Amino acid sequence: MNQRVAIVGVGWAGFRPATPEVSYKELMYDAAVRAYTDAGVDPRRDVESFVTVAEDFHEGTSIFDEYTPDQLGGALKSVQTITGDGLHGLATAYMLIRTGQFDIVAVEGHSKASNILTLDEITAYAQDPVLNRPLRFNTHFVAGMEMNRYLYETGTTREQCAAVVVKNRFNALANPSAPYGADLTLQDVLSGPMLSAPLGLRETAEHADGAIVMVLASEQAAQQLVDLPIWIEGIGWCNDSPSLESRDWGQAIYTAQAARMAYSQAGINHPLQAIDFAEVDDIYAYKELQTLEALGFFRPGEAGELTAEGFTTPEGDLPVNVSGGSLGCGHLLDATGLARALEVVLQLRGEAGARQLADVEIGLVQSWRGVPTTNGAVAILSN
Amino acid sequence: MILLERNPQAPRAWLGNLPVTSRYTFGLGGERFFRAIKDEGKILGTHCPKCERTYVPATIYCERCLGKLDEWVDVGSTGAVHTYTLLYENYDGSPREEPEIIAFVSMGDGGIVHRLGEIDPEEVEIGLEVEVVFKPKSERQGSILDIVHFRPVA
Repeated sequence: MNQRVAIVGVGWAGFRPATPEVSYKELMYDAAVRAYTDAGVDPRRDVESFVTVAEDFHEGTSIFDEYTPDQLGGALKSVQTITGDGLHGLATAYMLIRTGQFDIVAVEGHSKASNILTLDEITAYAQDPVLNRPLRFNTHFVAGMEMNRYLYETGTTREQCAAVVVKNRFNALANPSAPYGADLTLQDVLSGPMLSAPLGLRETAEHADGAIVMVLASEQAAQQLVDLPIWIEGIGWCNDSPSLESRDWGQAIYTAQAARMAYSQAGINHPLQAIDFAEVDDIYAYKELQTLEALGFFRPGEAGELTAEGFTTPEGDLPVNVSGGSLGCGHLLDATGLARALEVVLQLRGEAGARQLADVEIGLVQSWRGVPTTNGAVAILSN
Repeated sequence: MILLERNPQAPRAWLGNLPVTSRYTFGLGGERFFRAIKDEGKILGTHCPKCERTYVPATIYCERCLGKLDEWVDVGSTGAVHTYTLLYENYDGSPREEPEIIAFVSMGDGGIVHRLGEIDPEEVEIGLEVEVVFKPKSERQGSILDIVHFRPVA
């Protein structure tokens, strides 16, 4: 089978700092019903397979995949949950369709971060239990050390990282789904408390609750279902060595490799010329700059300067995180990559409302699984 | 049902917790690495002759070529600060008044993540030469905590 795969429906619930009145199942149900309505499919009749992403410790339930079918319409059907970011889920759904066994597949990711009472300790449980965890450092230290080395190697400044926060949180003001919109100055960001110096607390995304569901279809099914399928032109992923002792501290090589895989599938040689806009990881502000360089848009050390000059604003040459990113929308845990992909779909469909970009045809999505991981995924979408 | 219609006395959320306790076997390479720290106060790496890389902490395989490693080397007791951070939150997310000074100290082609001590935060910089400070031999247990911290080379 060699046919193309498209995103034919999207639905989401949230994003909000807390959702005390609904369960995670109700959030997922809400997003799923919207996505199926958007795609014009009956989930019980038409959707053949379901992919969800979740991490048991985030859910507070062991073997969490057992808890995903019913609210999505997946009971008594082919369902799998993978422990990865939402973009890995999208890649899995894409591959399921490319096998030729399925024509319509749903993918889901969610965050109920507000229910996790010991998130710092859960994240610390991801540290190497023998070499690192006995030191009992809050896991943000990994980001602080990575940022410091990145600034050292590239000459990027703290002010340039703060410019990412100012841009993304301002962008969020035009996104009704983004709870952390704000009109800040560089000084507002820089004068905040330190988290893991040189990383400041205000350069770190706060968490949010939400759910996102996407419906993917084979080329044939997509053309029957919707007028404007959003095509997955390429999708790649990569893990570096996870060990703190053998990773590269300055560059996101895993993202560069994931991009190479996606670019090769999409036939892209010059990303800055070929791609109109991007939604990338910004859980920590410096990550957006490091990522844009890893993606080949800029050379190491250029992203900060160009960001400070406005190159990546909605009016700039390469709009980045028009949605507000994780800094503006909130960090949605495992759903983060799907939130970035959602914005690219909405922009390519011309449905992004007040923040709609003019004349966009190709968008890039990138995600990172957060500290302490070295795990990146990249997708290229087109209309 | 909207929030205002709810019975405010009704339980809105249930609390649950789980004691998670695991045993971690560090393996053949790890045991020899930590035994050298405990018994000899030495930091060992393993060298891959094919890739010309020395792994610290020692491992029994090369992650580049996947060859088995059996060339053990003492990488000495000093290294340079490759990167560092001043951490203002505790393990559980509560704030700290005084930061932890944490560094990745290069040794061989790898290194060790640990605290820096006997130095003021503003004196730390990338490239600073530091040396390992072990606990007294009688207190060492074969763990990363057998290292008290790294301090500037006098």
